[in-house]
Amino acid sequence: MPDLGGEGDERLLARVGQGDREAFAVLFARFASKVKAYLLRLGAPPAVAEDLAQEAMLSLWRRASSYDPAKAKASTWIFVIARNAWIDRLRREKVELAYRDSLIVSEESDGEAPDDAAIREQTEQEMRAALDQLSEEQRQVVRLSFFEERPHSEIAEQLNLPLGTVKSRLRLALIKLRAHWERLA
Amino acid sequence: MSPLHHPSADILAAYTSGALEPGFGLVVGAHVDMCALCRRHTRTLESASGDALASLPEAPMGAGALEAVLKRLGDAPVAPPRADARSALARLPLKPRRWVAPGVWVAAVDTPHAADNRVYVLSVARGMPTARHEHSGAEFCTVLEGAFRDENGLYRAGDFAAADNDVNHQPVVVGDEACVCLFATEGRLRAQGVLGRLAFGLANV
Repeated sequence: MPDLGGEGDERLLARVGQGDREAFAVLFARFASKVKAYLLRLGAPPAVAEDLAQEAMLSLWRRASSYDPAKAKASTWIFVIARNAWIDRLRREKVELAYRDSLIVSEESDGEAPDDAAIREQTEQEMRAALDQLSEEQRQVVRLSFFEERPHSEIAEQLNLPLGTVKSRLRLALIKLRAHWERLA
Repeated sequence: MSPLHHPSADILAAYTSGALEPGFGLVVGAHVDMCALCRRHTRTLESASGDALASLPEAPMGAGALEAVLKRLGDAPVAPPRADARSALARLPLKPRRWVAPGVWVAAVDTPHAADNRVYVLSVARGMPTARHEHSGAEFCTVLEGAFRDENGLYRAGDFAAADNDVNHQPVVVGDEACVCLFATEGRLRAQGVLGRLAFGLANV
């Protein structure tokens, strides 16, 4: 058995796409407990979070052949898989209705809009460039608020900032991202 | 034409993270579907979410979780689904349309949502008044076809509007086409006027 413990997430995920179970086991060890933590933060009860994390990892196996390391880092792709597992299974809302995922669905479709083609071509590198325009403080606020679902008041306390500052900084950070894309559009 | 009215940054962030209530996520999704700018923005937020996921403290999986999943893997990974190229309106599972006035129909969206919320499509022909109503919480709306105007401006196909306890506005349909909008409304609707009572009472949305 090859030692895969030192492999990067992206190479492992590409191997899973080829049907490599050992690579899958390594990714499971790295990500299943993170996915479970994310689901708990979204409000899933512990038993549901455990089940859904398993479902998400199963979905990772099934969908891995669509993974393209040029388009997304592994953690982005796994996040989308996990979020969709939450929408799809717990709420039983049809995920294709609410999220048109350029990362997961197949590359080509008939009658594809030019916009979609442009987004398919969007690379992880461009994502990085957009994120790099944010200051560290702004990034921190974005992360704390939208990912951890904490009230703004708690974030303000943690960062030792006035509540109004947190709110406006969050707005600024996100608007700055939008401005970045507007320039590219 | 690109939409001019977008979800606010925090709404889009909540949508991306999966935190919006069912139904409300659908309305944002309908906008994102028609808005290249917001699709790019969503992808950036997904990338930030990937970083956040990787740095979360672990919530350990139960004993034997890996073995249980390995048993279910099956053979090779399967081909990903093809993108559904139909419009947001064509993809929505709608319950039967109820005509509530000449040129006005409403149809509930057959999707799970909180018992107190309403998720529906409302179509209003040119020249018809829209149903004035109040609600106790937020309301999200994406225009699917046609256009309307209110005191905030002109809303065309793809445009998104969010209102919070907003009572006193009555949009007017603009142009020759019927205006078809997808709504998610939090809390019980309290219809005002005859048309409102018809739309939200008889049509059972």
